Amino acid sequence: MPESIPASLIIDVLKDTFREARAALAAEGYRAPRHEHLGWILSVPDTHQKSVLAALDKERAIRVLTCATEDEAVAIAAGLYIGGEPVALMIQHAGLYASVNTLRGVALDGRLPVFYMIGLLGREKDREPRDSRHSMVRYCEPLLDLFGVPHARLEGPSDVHLIPEYYRLSRARRGPAVLLVGLETS
Amino acid sequence: MAIKPEDLLRAIATMRGDAVCVPTMTTVPAWRTIAPDDLSVVCVGFMGGASSLGLGLALARPDRRVIVFDGDGSLLMQLGSLATVAAAQPRNLVHLVFKNGVYQTSGAQEVPGGLQVDFVAMAKAAGYREAYALADLDAFRRRFPATLRQEGPVLVELSTGLAEQTPMTAPGGKPFSQQVEELREKLREL
Repeated sequence: MPESIPASLIIDVLKDTFREARAALAAEGYRAPRHEHLGWILSVPDTHQKSVLAALDKERAIRVLTCATEDEAVAIAAGLYIGGEPVALMIQHAGLYASVNTLRGVALDGRLPVFYMIGLLGREKDREPRDSRHSMVRYCEPLLDLFGVPHARLEGPSDVHLIPEYYRLSRARRGPAVLLVGLETS
Repeated sequence: MAIKPEDLLRAIATMRGDAVCVPTMTTVPAWRTIAPDDLSVVCVGFMGGASSLGLGLALARPDRRVIVFDGDGSLLMQLGSLATVAAAQPRNLVHLVFKNGVYQTSGAQEVPGGLQVDFVAMAKAAGYREAYALADLDAFRRRFPATLRQEGPVLVELSTGLAEQTPMTAPGGKPFSQQVEELREKLREL
């Protein structure tokens, strides 16, 4: 497994993902926005993605809103979606556990496309997450499977193609789609 | 004196113009009757999420006023949202809190702190541009039009009695997913 993924690479891919999303919205009949940003990141800080979040602070093309809870982040994402704005969530696995009811009520029952990037803090390189010594890591994929949420792992620079793919997947299936960030970004 | 929530909602309906409304819990059945098929989306099934849903709408559509009909019990479930809303500073968000001191939908158990909880002080401390409390319908009718014109976020704590119906006694209405798509379509065309 690689040592890390450069934050700049993730941000560039997010920009491309949001540009593609804007084009799709325009094709649906949405007017061009008056603001200059491409899309939104809703975050409750995550250790694995901290370098991305730090770099996004200086980024004008993507707006970042730090939320007090992951429940809020999911509900805000719903409002942004209804209003025609591209959005992605960056949270930590503990936050997924904390916000399971909102995942169910908004993303699943509400059939709202919510694209999550979830840091797997504590993921060991020498074993599968399901075999982790840490319950936070061990239960994450089984929980997503239980709720029927598609997921994949972002664990190296060659995996960043999954960002637009899972963003599109969330829109196509009108529900949640998750990338698990298995290593620290740099 | 507590205001009848249905009277409040009828008053809001006459004043809201083309604002998007986000009712939750006990305001849902009455609003469904008072303002059917309009620019609204309910927050039911993820209690506490109304202010965040409204914030997302307000950020996505800064050209349009968004009014959240929150409850005291609901807001207490996601109290941190006051800080998140204040940090985002949506100029077009009006956050109404229907305060009756109980979780009416689940059997009217008292909320923590009952009627002592001061949401006005909390909103101001969090950084809302303005917050005030009202316990009189006429006062609401006089003041609310100006609130709809001023820069938000604004929180209004409204002392209300119990609603005539709750989502438990009057279930129904369109599924949340259908409301989402209908509102999305309407907003796209506006």
